[in-house]
Amino acid sequence: MNEELLPVQIEDYLQEQTGHAVQVGPLTRFAVGFSWKTYLVPIAGGLPEAGGASELILRLGPSYGLFAPYSAMPEFLSMRSLESSAIPVPKAYWAGDNTETFGAPFLFCQKVNGAAVVPWVPANTPPLDEAYRKSLGTEFIDALAALHSVDWSNQPIAQMAQGINIENAALNNVLYWEKQIERWAMRPYPAAQWAIRWLKDHCPVAPRVAIIHGDYRTGNFLEENGHITAILDWELVHLGDPHEDIGWVSMPMYMGGSPHFCRLTEPEWFYQRYSEKVGFQVSMASVKYYRAFSLLKLAATHMAAARCFEEGRFNDLRMPAMGSQIATCLRQLEKTIESPL
Amino acid sequence: MNNSFPRLIDGMCATLRTEVLSRLDDEFARGQVFGVINLLNTFKSRADWSTEFLSQQVSVQSHALEQVRSLIASLPHAPEVATLTTPSVVSPTELLSLRDSANLEINKLLDWLASAKESLPGATALAIESELRKSMRREIEIELKNSPRPLFAEMSSGQENPI
Repeated sequence: MNEELLPVQIEDYLQEQTGHAVQVGPLTRFAVGFSWKTYLVPIAGGLPEAGGASELILRLGPSYGLFAPYSAMPEFLSMRSLESSAIPVPKAYWAGDNTETFGAPFLFCQKVNGAAVVPWVPANTPPLDEAYRKSLGTEFIDALAALHSVDWSNQPIAQMAQGINIENAALNNVLYWEKQIERWAMRPYPAAQWAIRWLKDHCPVAPRVAIIHGDYRTGNFLEENGHITAILDWELVHLGDPHEDIGWVSMPMYMGGSPHFCRLTEPEWFYQRYSEKVGFQVSMASVKYYRAFSLLKLAATHMAAARCFEEGRFNDLRMPAMGSQIATCLRQLEKTIESPL
Repeated sequence: MNNSFPRLIDGMCATLRTEVLSRLDDEFARGQVFGVINLLNTFKSRADWSTEFLSQQVSVQSHALEQVRSLIASLPHAPEVATLTTPSVVSPTELLSLRDSANLEINKLLDWLASAKESLPGATALAIESELRKSMRREIEIELKNSPRPLFAEMSSGQENPI
């Protein structure tokens, strides 16, 4: 992947897709994300095939990134599947997994206005303004309930179903992440092994199989004036038990020292409103199960960060800092399993 | 920590050169960065992880394995439990290796316990699991006690006091 060649490569690719010449301005790289590279691509005169947009977002999944090798397809298929839904997602235009075009899997999508709410805040940070929190919190819950209500069976994302059903959703997931831990861990972690066994022995039956965002939290959506403008970062999307996203939302790491899920919603409010919107009652046993699962998944992500850094794939110092949080995840994981509902 | 000491030093020096110096114009500030790189390289050749907390972790694991050994000594078909032999003077590398060997042993015992649980007296199975879990918990607690407050807010925003 050569960044200097990127503007010309983008012009060539877009010309091939649209059938007319496209002029690209200087790219801006966003400093967000730990894995995919994200660029703002200015298009001189706008692009009719993208609703006349004068800016596009290009995401590239480099071979040295966290969890590489990547595929742009899960993100592309999910964004395409949600295009006409109530969930605010950027429009996805083009994507591919071949590395000949840009040297890495790629995705072009709509640029949406807004800013991300930081999930991690220093101690003593004042809480979010109450009206702002309530407004964002309401949309945060409603968008998740809407996502979990989508009939995906006739959508492009159905390609990812791979025999999933309400009985095997939990176990398939645990087996997948167990493999990731085998791949990434640089040393044995008995606490993780013990937790994996617990997760295998306590698999819940899902109320339905839904589209799971996989990393639904503050930091992964844009907001403007207290309203969510786009849910982003669909790399970990898959089909599964809707409680999985709730478990992720409820992790203590994202509460920012507040009593609120993702600094936004009181747990009781979240459960009540979500249950009303989604059409089934949230199971507290399943929330506990998937919170434990989420902590294992987060620990696995940190193990991957530590290994990628150790192997010299990159020198991004945020990675070993993430790696130093494995113990925190495993401690919370054990506490979660031991806790009453 | 989960990364090796020399790799962390190399990563810090590389980041300072490629990500910081390349964006820093002030001559004095650049001199300070080179000073930091110089010192980091000195640490790499002369320093290593503290042996103190690694020794604590190995000692906890060693105690747990001894307890389990005595709990299963009289059981038929009980697995052999390795003994951790700690030399009197040990380097951080040796301690890390001992810690990992002990954890492998604990993993093996967890596997055995899961398969043999039904055939073991209930109280014995519980006692074995309790010893193994106590060891895991203590290992994590010792690691957390020796970890600074993470600066994720600052790392993701680039600001000293982000909101």
